[in-house]
Amino acid sequence: MRTHYRTYLVMAVLVVAALVLTACPAQQPAAPAEPQVVEVTRIVEGTPEVVVVTATPEPGMMEEEKVTVNYNWGTEPPTADPALATDTTSSALIGSIFMGLTDLDDETQEAVPALATSWESNEDKTVWTFKLRDDIPWVVYNPATGETEVVTDDEGNPRMVNAHDVVYGVKRTLDPNTASDYAYILYYIAGGEELNNADPAAENFQELYDATGVEALDDYTVQFTLKVPASFFPQIASMSQTFPMPQWVIEEKGDRWIEPGFIATNGPYVMTEWIHGDHLTLEKNENWPLWGTDYAPSNIERLEGVMIEEVSTAFALYESNELDTSGVPLEQIDRVKADPVLSQEFVNAPINCTYYYGFIMEKAPTNDVRVRKALSAGIDRKTLVEQVTKGGQIPANTFTNPLNFGSPAGDPEVAPWALPEDMGGTGYAAAVEMGKGLLEEAGFPNGSGLDVLLMHNVSEGHARIAQAVQAMWQSAYPEMNVTIETQEWRVYLKTIDKDSPLEDQPNVFRLGWCADYPHANNWVHEVFNTNAGANRVRMSEDDPQVGELVKEFNETTVKAQVASEEDAKALYKRAEQLLVDEIVAIAPIYYYTTVNVTKPWLQRTYDPIKLHLYKWQLDWEAKKAAMQ
Amino acid sequence: MTQYIIRRIFWAIPVLFMVILVTFVMARALPGGPFDFAGDRSLPESVRKNLARKYNLDDPLAVQFAKYMADVLRGDLGPSFRSRSQTVNDILAQSFPISFQLGILSIILGLLIGIPAGVVAAINHNGFLDYFSSFIAILGVSIPNIVLGPFLIWLVGLKLGWLPVARWGADYTEFYFGIIPPLTSVDFWTHAILPTITIGTGLSAGIARLTRASLLQVIREDYIRTARAKGLPSWAVIFIHALKNALIPVVTILGPMFAAVVTGSFVVEQIFGLPGMGRHFVQSVTNRDYPVVLGASLVYAVLLVLANLFVDIAYAFLDPRIRYD
Repeated sequence: MRTHYRTYLVMAVLVVAALVLTACPAQQPAAPAEPQVVEVTRIVEGTPEVVVVTATPEPGMMEEEKVTVNYNWGTEPPTADPALATDTTSSALIGSIFMGLTDLDDETQEAVPALATSWESNEDKTVWTFKLRDDIPWVVYNPATGETEVVTDDEGNPRMVNAHDVVYGVKRTLDPNTASDYAYILYYIAGGEELNNADPAAENFQELYDATGVEALDDYTVQFTLKVPASFFPQIASMSQTFPMPQWVIEEKGDRWIEPGFIATNGPYVMTEWIHGDHLTLEKNENWPLWGTDYAPSNIERLEGVMIEEVSTAFALYESNELDTSGVPLEQIDRVKADPVLSQEFVNAPINCTYYYGFIMEKAPTNDVRVRKALSAGIDRKTLVEQVTKGGQIPANTFTNPLNFGSPAGDPEVAPWALPEDMGGTGYAAAVEMGKGLLEEAGFPNGSGLDVLLMHNVSEGHARIAQAVQAMWQSAYPEMNVTIETQEWRVYLKTIDKDSPLEDQPNVFRLGWCADYPHANNWVHEVFNTNAGANRVRMSEDDPQVGELVKEFNETTVKAQVASEEDAKALYKRAEQLLVDEIVAIAPIYYYTTVNVTKPWLQRTYDPIKLHLYKWQLDWEAKKAAMQ
Repeated sequence: MTQYIIRRIFWAIPVLFMVILVTFVMARALPGGPFDFAGDRSLPESVRKNLARKYNLDDPLAVQFAKYMADVLRGDLGPSFRSRSQTVNDILAQSFPISFQLGILSIILGLLIGIPAGVVAAINHNGFLDYFSSFIAILGVSIPNIVLGPFLIWLVGLKLGWLPVARWGADYTEFYFGIIPPLTSVDFWTHAILPTITIGTGLSAGIARLTRASLLQVIREDYIRTARAKGLPSWAVIFIHALKNALIPVVTILGPMFAAVVTGSFVVEQIFGLPGMGRHFVQSVTNRDYPVVLGASLVYAVLLVLANLFVDIAYAFLDPRIRYD
């Protein structure tokens, strides 16, 4: 009996011993009810330092009922640091807990007052002066008490957000020590690029730092001096890279300053809990003076946000009432549209991104403008969005998404052959006829002898589109040959980089572009101007066929930066005509949309860039009734 | 025995060093760096330079490796490139416990189903129960998690409404010693059931087939005939004499299985929205987040070495003929 008992004991011991021996460095168990002090040793710039953090579950708070929205962040936000954010999740979080100089209007995407109440520029748009509110305090959430506390100065007065905080924030983004990915967005500021490019150990570093073109004229006036004229600067001022930042916290806490309990913020909500990879909770900042105004009419007191990456999982949570709003997985779209309840909750909202195919203009046969135009015309955009992508995307005839200032999207004077007839274009049949003629001229009658390599990064969605486009091209120009290749994302980006060897590159690559700020300058100029953008298409003023047009394109996007609003619109339209119809550097395919479902008790905005939680409304009684 | 264990642990050091070295070199050999792009956009040279300086990526590779090894010996696995406020230690301390808990539950379920199923099949060799259990086992092996998981969510979570559809029932602030879940929490158990079934049934199928095959071999041995001849009841022959030997191959696969399962499954974690470690193996490579790639691989290697050591020790208990001195 003894031995047989031992056999099973061994199995048990194996499991238990492994459990004990592999245990990670122990974290303290959190007692369920009592507040407790946890000592955490961490290394700050090489010196060990003991920080006392108070971790408190808040039993008393749970009974107090808060109007709560259940949201899916979609992924762990890479950061809550305004200087570092590059992705939509981080931006949505930062936009909820911080308040920047300007905000964007949900409908028009124009800059509207936020922390800045008004702004003005000099005649040539190189100096911008912003007047700031003086009633927004810095606040810190205290996990020990569950209260949001106003930061006070030495005299005990509330520490209001001021122009110096903005100056610090801007300079911090540009400071090479911060190593912000997005610092280049602020290169428009005089001295910005020089500061970001400097060696922090260099002797003149402080000089460069001081010389950067942002200063506080008084406590509530901040002035930017730009390197080049920029009519779109108020929109750049809505980006988190220009936000006020709490210098004292950042200097004391280092990289961890963004954790709840440390981070000082000035926005409508405070971050009360951030369980990395799992959930992040926001609560209303009662000290924020704009509640109840038109700017922030929301009644939402709490946001519980999970981080579910898989859309079908998020959708299942939505169906079981654990999320109030969610995306819809592609394979469920047909069911959602047919379902009597879900179809009422379905919303198709535009987002500020464009899906496009780029042509490598130095590689045969796409070095011939006629071939490029025939290929672009050979894409049946309407069929593609209706039969393949199915998410309510809009066929595109421009690079700049319609949500931006200066976008001529849908204007039949820009590449009418790309638009279906019901959108004012010439329709697909006519486009194919035009394409056939162009190919014949170029020496590829019916596509004979035309060999095109199309590349995209690995993804089911991109593959479906590429296969559809391949089929469209081959039916339009029956004798052409289309090969599709795929690569892993980072390898792919490397392959289609302007500096990669031409023999590794395809003829056609797929990419998307999303606005950093909603202005055509962020599109045509920053992406394709050969002196400013990434120029993956290898467009050149020396091109034998279209060199002159490229030159005109480059001049046009620069001219538009200083032009009056009306003139700028005309110039951007001209730039799109050049890019899409005359140079044909790219084939715009569609403007993105999100497919969402939202419960009837939640009224939310679908701002293409910002989350704008403080504009949502929740019918709390209806939600509670539905949950029972 | 003690000497043997010490010798094995000593031998683990060069093994782990090689793992780090190879992973380090391979991660960096991948085309594209962590800071070439933000989303679709390529970053300007000045920005890349600042990032490289901040993370010491501008040093020669050998220097970077030496610095990394020095940090690892101090228990510091470095910063994460993607989550800029977090270290790899943070990320692993937050995500490993969840994968570990799910992995242990799945292995327990796998053993609870697999061993009895294998025994029943072996006893009824070529009988109905044998074919039936083989059929179920093949089904279990061949239905991938990516099918079973969503099916369970749909059936048990949504249609029947018996269990939560996704997420883990506890987070790292609630774990005892940073790793043991609140075992009295109903929330924990209800959330754990579906992902445990998803992984555990797959494991049990393999365990059952192995147990059956091994037991069939053992019950033909002379000592089993002897046991029967001396009049022992059938159950005692199987459970006291045969099964013990038959479990040796099962214990052998349990080592690597343990290391693989407790470090998480990308697919199951994505399907159930679990903040486990499996996703870091995949996403850190996609993001070229070198320190996370290395940290995750190192944890896996350490677990594999430890698990195999335990397996070898367990042999000595299961089969007294095996001695290590």
